[in-house]
Formats: sequence, C-alpha cells, structure tokens
Amino acid sequence: MTDVAFVVAGYAVILGGAALYAIALGRRLRAARATSMKIRRDAEAAGPPDRTA
Amino acid sequence: MKTRILGFVGLAAVIGAAVFGLFVVPADLNQGDAQRIMYPHVASAWLGELSFGVTALAGIGYLWRRDLRLDAIAHAAAEVGVLFTAFAIWGGMMWGRPVWGVYWQWEDPRLATTALLLALGIGYLLLRRLTDDPARRATRAAVVGIIAALDIPIIHFSVIWWRGLHQTPTFGDPSKLLNPSAPGLFVIALMGMLAAFTVVWCYLMIRRYQLARIEWQIEEHGRLGRISAARRAAAMNAAAQETSA
Repeated sequence: MTDVAFVVAGYAVILGGAALYAIALGRRLRAARATSMKIRRDAEAAGPPDRTA
Repeated sequence: MKTRILGFVGLAAVIGAAVFGLFVVPADLNQGDAQRIMYPHVASAWLGELSFGVTALAGIGYLWRRDLRLDAIAHAAAEVGVLFTAFAIWGGMMWGRPVWGVYWQWEDPRLATTALLLALGIGYLLLRRLTDDPARRATRAAVVGIIAALDIPIIHFSVIWWRGLHQTPTFGDPSKLLNPSAPGLFVIALMGMLAAFTVVWCYLMIRRYQLARIEWQIEEHGRLGRISAARRAAAMNAAAQETSA
C-alpha cells in the first residue's frame, strides 16, 4: 500500500472524530437529562408555582 | 430505543464501508492508495453541505413560524455540519498532499469556499452564545444560517465556474450519474460510504436535537428562576422602603 500514513490519518481522524463526537454527545445528553429530572423533582417537592412571579 | 438501533446500524455500516474501501477496492492507477481517502472525504463534504442546508431551511421555518423546535433543528444541524465540514477538509488535505503535492491552496475556489462554510458554521455556533433570550438568539442565528447556506451552491459550482486544483464532479450531473468517469467498484465504495455516513448523520442529528430541546428547557427554567428571584427581591425592597418611610 502506498501513502499509508495519509490513508491511516485520513480514516482515523474522520472515523475516530465521529465516534468521539457520538460518545461526547451521549454523555452531554445523559447529563442534560439528569439535570432536567432534578429540576422536575425539585419543582414537585417545592409544591405549586409562585403566583407572584 | 429506535435511535439506539439506528446508531448501531450506522456503526456497522461505516465499519463495513471502511473495510470495503480500504481492503476490497483496488488502488487507483494514478492516485495509488490515496484515492481510498476519497470515500470518507466526499461523504463528509456531502453531509456538511446537507447540514447547513437543513440549518438554513429550519432557520427560514423559524422566521416564518417562530417555533423554537425549528431553531433546535437548525442548531443541531449546524453543530453536526461544522463537524462534517471539518472532516471533509481534513480528508481533502490528506488526499491532496500525496496527489497534488500540497495540503492546501487558498487560490483554489473549492477549498476556499469550503473553508468559508466552516468559518460561517463556527460563527453561527459562537453567535448563539451571545444572548440568553431564546427568541432573539433564534432570529439572529436563522439569518446567519441562511447567509451560510448561500455558500453551498458556490462550493458546488466553484469547480465549474473557476479554474483551480480541485477536479470537476465525478458524477455531478445526470449524464455522469449513469456513466460515471470512475470504475464500478470505486462508485460502489463511494455510494456505500455515502449511505453509511448518512445513517450516522441521522443518528447524530436526532441525538443533538434531543439535547438542544433539553438544554432549552433547562435554560428556560433558569431564566424563569432568575426573573422570579428578581421580582421577589424588588418586592422585598419596596416593602423595606415603605417600612422605613
């Protein structure tokens, strides 16, 4: 195979980058869902919303 | 669950397409094995442009309907678009050095206009961080997204309108679609990679859209909390002033 370094670098960065982005996106989504759940639980624990707000 | 299945299908398809492109397709007579980089490069370029097209369409939809779900789609597509445009540029550079003898040439209109699209995409994402007001942010972002999309036809036709290093489309018009200027196995490898990357793109778009919606809800909760706290503080201030008077 010729130009192996370029072929490997091309594929590794593109496929590896997409995989890393997908993993990071999954983590961000999990963290956001956890925060959203916490807000919902806190709101339920606090009772009805503040009417003066 | 369906999105997770889509993710696994995309992963399997990309692995299959990469194995086919790297080990099954023969090397090109003129370009050697560097030609194998074309498959992820072209697929990334296509999805980068598709993403910014979606950003512009969703932006137009937002300006018309004022629905923040459309803004979430535009945001998701822009982030994914920046990623794929960066991949396209990287793949092009890795192919360009062994075939053209240079990684990059600013004089080439295809390269310069693609770099411009990447810069506009990054600018779009940075612009979104400037304000907390969802409506104002969505309006500004929609305008920038539409401006960025104007670059897509320029990128596509740049190799026809102007002379540069970049070759003209291999099967960019209807006559070439039926009779491409590349061997059949190369076309199958390219189409396979395009299909695989498109599945991955769909998966990433769905996940990023879900994230954008949840982020908006969290942000909205924080904004309402700040407004509520400010009103309570103002009320207490007014009460304190009345007491002292």
